[in-house]
Amino acid sequence: MTNRERALNILHYKDVDRLPAVHFGYWGELLTEWVQQGKISKDFEGGIGDGSEADRALDKIIGWDFNWFCTKGANNGLYPCFESKELEVLPDGSKRVLNSVGVIERIKPGITSIPSEDDYTLKDRTAFEELYKPKMQFVKERVNYEYFSSFNETRDYDIPIGLHLGSVLGNIRDMTSVIGMSYLMYDEDEELLADIVDTYADMQYECAKAILETGARFDFAHYWEDICFKNGPLLSPEKFDELCAKHYKKRNDLCREYGIDIISLDCDGVTEKLLPTWFENGVNTMFPIEIGVWGDQFEKARNKFGKGMLGVGGMDKTALRKDKAAVDAEIERMKRLASMGGFIPCPDHRLMPGTKFELVQYYAEEIKKIRI
Amino acid sequence: MSIYSEISENVRKGRMKAVKELVQSAVDSGNSAADILNLGLLSGMNEIGELFKNNEVYVPEVLVAARAMNAGVAILKPLLIQDNVQSVGKVCLGTVRGDMHDIGKNLVKMMMEGKGLEVIDLGTDVSPENFVNTAIEQNCRIICCSALLTTTMDEMAEVVKQAEIAGVRDKVKIMIGGAPVTDEFCKKIGADVYTSDAASAADAAVELCK
Repeated sequence: MTNRERALNILHYKDVDRLPAVHFGYWGELLTEWVQQGKISKDFEGGIGDGSEADRALDKIIGWDFNWFCTKGANNGLYPCFESKELEVLPDGSKRVLNSVGVIERIKPGITSIPSEDDYTLKDRTAFEELYKPKMQFVKERVNYEYFSSFNETRDYDIPIGLHLGSVLGNIRDMTSVIGMSYLMYDEDEELLADIVDTYADMQYECAKAILETGARFDFAHYWEDICFKNGPLLSPEKFDELCAKHYKKRNDLCREYGIDIISLDCDGVTEKLLPTWFENGVNTMFPIEIGVWGDQFEKARNKFGKGMLGVGGMDKTALRKDKAAVDAEIERMKRLASMGGFIPCPDHRLMPGTKFELVQYYAEEIKKIRI
Repeated sequence: MSIYSEISENVRKGRMKAVKELVQSAVDSGNSAADILNLGLLSGMNEIGELFKNNEVYVPEVLVAARAMNAGVAILKPLLIQDNVQSVGKVCLGTVRGDMHDIGKNLVKMMMEGKGLEVIDLGTDVSPENFVNTAIEQNCRIICCSALLTTTMDEMAEVVKQAEIAGVRDKVKIMIGGAPVTDEFCKKIGADVYTSDAASAADAAVELCK
């Protein structure tokens, strides 16, 4: 059986020979750590792209079967994006930088996590109409037609590959920061945020359609949102539904027309309250189900929505920083979850600094021994 | 409806323009700055804090309410100084060294200010020494540390140690919070209080300042 067949069979409640060992990549700092420890070569230092050749090479070294986040898509962000530029260097050595989506970030040397957001450009209708709307239009240059026309002949059939559908609200949040998105939600111009979301979503729909019309076939479709945090969603579920539901439905209906029936969505944090909007509008595979840090739960979702609710993730990655006993406990839990069907265990986010190389190898090896 | 109730309601609804107008009107009518602050602005922010704690409103509602409250406070500030109105207590707050995340920290700040606490915001990537020195120099009752990352939360233990080294551990309470932080972790590192959300953090800080 190929890994692609294993994954698709599990998500369609069909038989498989064993579980695949699936992951969701690494923080760059971890790979640097592993290089310094002599576990891997310098080729991997600083980070690698999901599903890239380097990622696949590292899979072989560690014993993974594949990274779930292997997707292909259009250039469906701002096009052209803002020209990144350094605005000033502050006395503590940090830099204020205008990034590619118009947010002014404060970046400190030596810190590679998400930067601080100092300010943003998308504050009012004038900024939207003049600076952003022109960059949110569908143009043919967004799609690599040549690549997708030959995709079916050239793609790797050992692993599942998804069509990246973009994001309905997460990208907008990136352009405004959480604060800006919140202010837009309560702007005197009540239609402004919806207009931004609609404009962006229409462009992303056209991108997906253009790719599917080339004849390229995908095993699943995938969104990135990251619109939740420790205590739940970053906005009210009602507002989220009002702004986003129709766009999920439209894009997911399109995917189903082209035979894609697994639609996964990457959202960190506790996702429970947004699941109805996603599930009722065609998203059926939650990823990465962050149980370790945030306590997100797959069982609750399965119990509420039934067998149509699928999952990839849910393994507490922090166990991989601890010891064999902690990993064994997680493997037992994964075995139980996987036995429900429609669920593929995967660390619940990118592996972080401090993760032990040998424990990751051990986990990958043990997961592959599980028959369901 | 009294002017204070009107201010409170408009803070809760995040109506910044209305809050500014109402606060100015209340000042012009001769109401005391302390009453406008406590019975109007902070009352509205308290209500939103309770709703947030009970998951009845979400982050955007807190942010717009805080923006409205701050617009009102800006009008009152010179009057509060003139009248020598004291804050409930003083807190220094920041995200720990190595961590640039500030959404949670900013929410805590808003909630604390909504409770009448004076908050010194040290920003992100704050060293243990900076937390402790600020607490000493500014006479803060509480140090409040935030972290989003499992890789940076251990810095909170360094803040506790630094407070011990500086000999102020018995004078300053240390509160911690953030996504990966738990009550168990709080006990383990010897901090004083862990809270799971911003509104509870503000409540706890007020209690510590009593």
